[in-house]
Amino acid sequence: MTGAPPIVEMTGISISFPGVKALDAVDFRLFPGEVHTLMGENGAGKSTLIKALTGVYKIDEGQILVAGEERRFGGTADAQAAGIATVYQEVNLCANLSIGENVMLGHEVRGPFGINWKATHRAAAEVLATLGLEQLDLRRPLATLSLAIQQLVAISRAMVTRPKVLILDEPTSSLDANEVANLFTVIRKLRDQGVAILFVTHFLDQVYAISDRITVLRNGGFVGEYPTRELDRTTLISKMIGKDFATLRSLGSERQSHHYEPRGEPLLKAEDLGRKGSSEPTDLELHQGEVLGLAGLLGSGRTELARLLYGADRPDSGTVWLRGRKTDIHTPTAALAHRIAFSSENRRDEGIIRDLSVRENLVLAVQAKRGWFRPLSRKEQDALTRKYLTELNVRPADPERPIKFLSGGNQQKVLLGRWLATEPDLLILDEPTRGIDVGAKAEIQAAVAALAAKGVAVVFISSELEEVVRLSDRIIVMKDHRKLAELENGPHVTAETIVAVIADEGDDEEGDSE
Amino acid sequence: MSDLAARLAAGRGAIVRNQAFWGVIAIAALLAINVVADPGYLSVGYNGETGRLSGNLIDILRAAAPILMIAVGMCLVVATGGIDLSVGSIMVVAGAVSMELLRGMDGSAGNAALTLAIALGIATALGAVNGFLVSVVGLQPFISTLVMMLAGRGIAKVITGGQNTTADNDSFAWLANGYVVGVPVVFLLAIAIVALVWLLVRRSALGLMLEAIGMDSRASRLAGVKRRSLQLTVYSVSGLLAGIAGVFATASVMTVDVSRTGYQLELDAILAVVIGGTSLAGGKFSIGGAVIGGLLIATLDKTVVFLGIPASATPAFKAIVIVVLCLLQSERVRSLFRHRRALRAQSQKEAVAA
Amino acid sequence: MRSTARVARAFAVAGALTLGLAACGGGDDDTSTSGGDGGGDDVVTVGFVAVGPEGGWRQANEANVQDTFTEEAGFELKYAPATNLDQRSQIDAFTSFVDEGVDVILLSATEGAGWEDSLRRAQEAEIPVILVDRGIEPDDTDLYVTRIAPDNYEVSTSVAEWAVSAFPDGANYFVLEGPAGVSVVNERNKGWDDTVGSAANLVKIGAQTANWSTEEAKSVFETVLRANNNDIQIVFAQNDEMGLGAAIAVEEAGLTPGVDVQIATIDGTKPALEALSEGRLSFVAEYNPLFGETLLEVVDKVLNGEEVEPYIIVPSETFDSPEAATAALPSRKY
Repeated sequence: MTGAPPIVEMTGISISFPGVKALDAVDFRLFPGEVHTLMGENGAGKSTLIKALTGVYKIDEGQILVAGEERRFGGTADAQAAGIATVYQEVNLCANLSIGENVMLGHEVRGPFGINWKATHRAAAEVLATLGLEQLDLRRPLATLSLAIQQLVAISRAMVTRPKVLILDEPTSSLDANEVANLFTVIRKLRDQGVAILFVTHFLDQVYAISDRITVLRNGGFVGEYPTRELDRTTLISKMIGKDFATLRSLGSERQSHHYEPRGEPLLKAEDLGRKGSSEPTDLELHQGEVLGLAGLLGSGRTELARLLYGADRPDSGTVWLRGRKTDIHTPTAALAHRIAFSSENRRDEGIIRDLSVRENLVLAVQAKRGWFRPLSRKEQDALTRKYLTELNVRPADPERPIKFLSGGNQQKVLLGRWLATEPDLLILDEPTRGIDVGAKAEIQAAVAALAAKGVAVVFISSELEEVVRLSDRIIVMKDHRKLAELENGPHVTAETIVAVIADEGDDEEGDSE
Repeated sequence: MSDLAARLAAGRGAIVRNQAFWGVIAIAALLAINVVADPGYLSVGYNGETGRLSGNLIDILRAAAPILMIAVGMCLVVATGGIDLSVGSIMVVAGAVSMELLRGMDGSAGNAALTLAIALGIATALGAVNGFLVSVVGLQPFISTLVMMLAGRGIAKVITGGQNTTADNDSFAWLANGYVVGVPVVFLLAIAIVALVWLLVRRSALGLMLEAIGMDSRASRLAGVKRRSLQLTVYSVSGLLAGIAGVFATASVMTVDVSRTGYQLELDAILAVVIGGTSLAGGKFSIGGAVIGGLLIATLDKTVVFLGIPASATPAFKAIVIVVLCLLQSERVRSLFRHRRALRAQSQKEAVAA
Repeated sequence: MRSTARVARAFAVAGALTLGLAACGGGDDDTSTSGGDGGGDDVVTVGFVAVGPEGGWRQANEANVQDTFTEEAGFELKYAPATNLDQRSQIDAFTSFVDEGVDVILLSATEGAGWEDSLRRAQEAEIPVILVDRGIEPDDTDLYVTRIAPDNYEVSTSVAEWAVSAFPDGANYFVLEGPAGVSVVNERNKGWDDTVGSAANLVKIGAQTANWSTEEAKSVFETVLRANNNDIQIVFAQNDEMGLGAAIAVEEAGLTPGVDVQIATIDGTKPALEALSEGRLSFVAEYNPLFGETLLEVVDKVLNGEEVEPYIIVPSETFDSPEAATAALPSRKY
């Protein structure tokens, strides 16, 4: 681009883990003053490449030049000292410390009497101001903040050392549109100051909004490096998945055109279902074989409603009829016994159990449902695991690998397998596609469509309105912890329709009759 | 060829990383020290008259029995991310109940069985109280069981009126002192109970459920794991096992010593669990490891006496053994050694090259 | 059916405590009688910083003190046993007695060291302190009025003299000690060593702590016998419980206590005398716990301002034969 030499230049990088070649002769260049996006499916090697650069993983072959000098870092701290700061996909902060303490952790301003907290907080405030977050109360404990704000705090923390290279590993996966825009403003500002930014995301819109260049990886191999302007979306996706994009595209439209008319008695009917402080009393009907989308912005109450349906939180008002019978569902155990399954949006804390193997994670819910004294035999476990690993195309298909070593998308597929193994009549999926790549996303969407076709009722929650529109038969639009409208889906409904409903602020209560 | 070598090396790595391995090494080292002190240390004799095996190894096995019981119970509790500080006190309660009951009875086997049932029932109930406080009331395990640790010894004092109580019942004493085909009953019982617990947790899905709770209690709740009933079960089982340990300890001398029986044995149990490779943070647990830890502690206690280490020096000696063991188990310390070895090898190579 | 009653009682007690219904005994402080000093007919308040459950000897000793300082005799005794033999809890009890302003404090210290500050506070408050049984270290006689105790040194000397006379041809001996560092242990060791040390043919094989416990003593001595091929003729157990544990270990090793190994103990509790009468123990030196009457006389003297000796030794008996034990058993109170 400019004539300046690259600040980071990696050539022929290879890394092997036992049984897997994680990176195979990958090249990567990063210039000062550019935003460079690293693209690829889950498991393509994006995180591994970042960890190779920061020295978290040792490389087997290849060369890393930083500012023209050959370097091998001993870890994140080492890299940071050399001006390379990283913000990882999962927020790694101390929940019980305040915002200010988190931002300045390890960089506290020291005075003659130990830490000078006043100066430390002042420094933290300056950093937050550059990110447009000056409205945050520095003394608030991190735990009281939304995941989105926590992510911004994590980025602020990386900016404390004024790095020359800033690595953002899926920083936007939990941010809403406003927060993303806010972040991009900051990223552009930093770019204009000459900071080199390495950006990893799954949101194609964001790639085209912010990045100057794209490097594509697939299965640990290097596919190519392209200026963003010269690469259209279809080509980009084909390069990432190595498949024709049209096959993926057809899935959604097919589903939308074969709209399913609910018949007969609802599987589940709720009246005035609510819980003080988290969910206003809501009415709801769910039929066999339909996909009900819950749409709304982050914090609109869609997650809270889903948790009430599953008994993850205890409802304090309302009545639920299941298959026509009045039923109390106050615990997850009860819900599972009634063939209801729920996949939480918080994959890390409420989904996977990191240290258990893929197999153990997959059979956990079935086993819990049967009770511990009626164990699944190893044979049954293996059969179940094999079945879902194949059906959902989990990679690597190694049942004994601890699940923490799988990529986010594959973890999500294993979790989907966990719930499917319980053979639910009602499956509630809260953000099942957040932070995962296009390929895995398409596979999960296909699985949802297949489930509905088999007669399972699915509640589908996603921040991506297009996805909700593509998959749902009916859509409940939520705002401020209450139901705003219920829409019958059809060719006339688009993401814009939903946005309009939210913007109109409930003038359109009878939206489903239009 | 090189593939085979790599696999062997990987296998060796797995064994060395397995923390219980170092426990076995430590036991072997202690035995070796004893053999140096007395070459006949390991010999096991057979007494034709009494039909008993005898020897230091047999003594170690007998001494290990109570520790094995509480270590296994502790292991299960620790797996759920909890801790049970009350095992020593539950031991003394079970012992006090036994002695107090037997003192007023004739020495029949039926009375021994009745006493055993009541003592173990009360121990289980005390464990269940721990479980109730932790799972239903939601107190921290440390606090709940600390309360029980203090209360338990008080209960024992009330039961015996504050006295050390002695009783006579040959059947009851047989549990701790008898022999079957030459082997101490107490060790056979201990191994049988350990095997039973192992089968219970590993052949059912109990082990998986406990680990799931210990690793991530929120995620396991959403997966339908019944945390409350499992915690109640685990603390009750720990209480029951502590009760058995208490019976073993008191039956061996048919005396309960209210201020000494089981005193601070919770620490031995925790130590045994940790030596066995189970993290106090919860999650993955190893009953086999806890057994090795228990055997190590018994071996250590016996070694101290056998070598005649002065009373004032025994705590220090035991501490040193434990610290060295923990250092060897630490991944970081081992990698330091490896690093130094590699450096030395390299410098030797360079020296040769030069 | 006595046994069923016992079953029921033990069960009920454990059950009640399990449910946390422990009833706290005593504690009804009658504050209306506090204050008024000098008058000879007033109730005398006595604070007893005690050891609490430790063994048969302690039980007898403290019960005897409690039975002596009764209301009928004109006393209000405040009994404060240590929790789990912890010195900290004793110091707390002591301090609160000083703050309350009791008339006299009786102290049985679990540990000898570390009492100077507390004793000085009592001195400033002009509350006389009488040491019961256990002494303090360093033994500063200015800090307390008097110590009343059987003499550990004397008692263990009597055991040593028995050993010397019973084994004129020499023998190997082993000592089972209490917890390391406790003053009783030091005194009992000294009494033994000073006498046995001069008998060259008595050979010390070793010494180990068994923490006053029967169970530990059995386990320790079983290993000691193995380590020495059973070649031990005398065991000096510093309390009865450990001696009884050693006897069990001897029996399990296939030897006969009293014949192959002779065991001498200190304390003279009933179980020990029973064992002596059966020949399982060979020598029991009493460490007389029943000196409540002596204590009462001393308290009266001190309150009347009379001088007393700084150390009052309570006489103790020794029992060296099954016959002596059998004769003493019927009147044994502890």
